Amino acid sequence: MSGKRISLIVNGESVKAEVLVNRLLSDFLRDDLALTGTKRGCETGVCGACSVLVDGDVVKSCLSLAAQVDGKTLTTVEGLGRIGDLHPLQESFMAHGGLQCGYCTPGFLLAAADLLSRNPDPQDAEIREALSGNLCRCTGYQGIVDAVRNVAESTHGN
Amino acid sequence: MREFEFLEPQTLTEALAMMSEYEDDACVYAGGTALLLAMRQRMLSPGFVVSLGKLDELREITFNPAEGLRIGALARHSDVARAPDVQAHYPMLAGMAGGLANPQVRNQGTIGGNLCYADPATDPPSCLIAMDAEVTIAGPGGERRLPMREFVVDFFTTALEPGEILTHITLPPPRPDRTGLYRRHLRTPAEHRPVANVALTFRDVNGVPEDVRLVIGAAVPVAQSMTRAEDFLTARAITLDVAAEAAAMVAEDIDPISDGRGEEAFRRQVVRAITRRILAEAAGLNWKDAAA
Ligand SMILES: Cc1cc2nc3c(=O)[nH]c(=O)nc-3n(C[C@H](O)[C@H](O)[C@H](O)COP(=O)(O)OP(=O)(O)OC[C@H]3O[C@@H](n4cnc5c(N)ncnc54)[C@H](O)[C@@H]3O)c2cc1C
Ligand code: FES
Ligand code: FES
Repeated sequence: MSGKRISLIVNGESVKAEVLVNRLLSDFLRDDLALTGTKRGCETGVCGACSVLVDGDVVKSCLSLAAQVDGKTLTTVEGLGRIGDLHPLQESFMAHGGLQCGYCTPGFLLAAADLLSRNPDPQDAEIREALSGNLCRCTGYQGIVDAVRNVAESTHGN
Repeated sequence: MREFEFLEPQTLTEALAMMSEYEDDACVYAGGTALLLAMRQRMLSPGFVVSLGKLDELREITFNPAEGLRIGALARHSDVARAPDVQAHYPMLAGMAGGLANPQVRNQGTIGGNLCYADPATDPPSCLIAMDAEVTIAGPGGERRLPMREFVVDFFTTALEPGEILTHITLPPPRPDRTGLYRRHLRTPAEHRPVANVALTFRDVNGVPEDVRLVIGAAVPVAQSMTRAEDFLTARAITLDVAAEAAAMVAEDIDPISDGRGEEAFRRQVVRAITRRILAEAAGLNWKDAAA
């Protein structure tokens, strides 16, 4: 099996790598780039723990080959905010009980970031729809919806 | 996942040549959301994966009032849902594409991949049949066009011949007097795939439907036009009783799938309920007013 040279931008940095063509994007991010914030859950496209942004659109990295993101711009949770300089969504998830064990959190953050980039002032129903590709076994979801709504409200002042 | 070669043709001609060269050992790859799962479960183990990723011309969505809408097979569900021309002229299609699966799958799965995989538990087939869509297929011998209703032939089986590639989907120009609705039913909000869906279009002649299309999907192996109910509804004003009668006919005429997500009897009831509701809604009635 041949490899493929890919070059992409991950969290603002340019990355060049040689990957096996059957390498999953989620494995590439975690095992080759050591970006372990992206989680592997179901690995069948259901749970959303592996969500990342590709060219600004949230996708499930377990349903993609690394070979497919050649030339693209990716954001993982590590690129959303950093310790000491967290993204408003990360602050809000902490403030509103948007997480307990935290395993699902990176995926929810990226799905929420995609939503707010297109729709800065969503209704609750729109928040729930935007997060419908992500599962959480701990929070019961309400804390997550509250966290997202709160970021929208604090940037919109209503 | 077994090993394979990942081929990235630059043109459709090159892609078709690769498909002819590697025949049964080759497989078209679009977004990969369906294929990767099948390959990881080793249901499919192609030696050559022919990625359409570089064929940008297959991504385009174009509209003109004389010819209608043309959607490239590589357009993602989210591209279809967000295209201004689709939103303006085909709101039923925009709503369907923007409501299926979940945001992540819509951002990666293509409409072509959805149709070619022919999984019954999907949304586009019934909606596209009700909108009189056609598909264009390129193959070693040239191009051919088929009505959408002839494209999916059975569970996971389409009319594609070996080596053929779906290039685009076309919809006739919108007609101001033609309206349509699409509705899907999920068992729980956490389940992405519909257990049943229904698409309805008709020409509204002073409140009376003509040229009715009523198509059921997901509950049946292949999305199906409900011809007996279509005839019954033609030239008949929709009341709650008419809606209930047509819905009962539809429930009787289908041969539902029975599996872990829903047994036959359950799916029949769901189909009856969503058909009654969509008809009531189309007529501006509240289905809750009748306890049928
Ligand atoms: C978690 C989840 C939930 C989902 N929920 C829904 C839902 O609610 N409703 C719904 O409708 N769908 C749903 N889907 C299915 C989804 O829409 C499809 O997986 C997707 O559209 C397939 O497109 P793709 O580009 O990823 O196809 P691929 O995986 O790349 O290809 C699928 C198949 O089609 C063939 N193929 C692809 N493109 C072409 C072409 N142009 N010509 C010839 N053959 C081609 C491939 O060889 C392969 O056999 C869901 C999927 C997942 C993973
Ligand atoms: S690990 Fe990708 S969706 Fe669950
Ligand atoms: S916080 Fe534990 S799964 Fe969501």
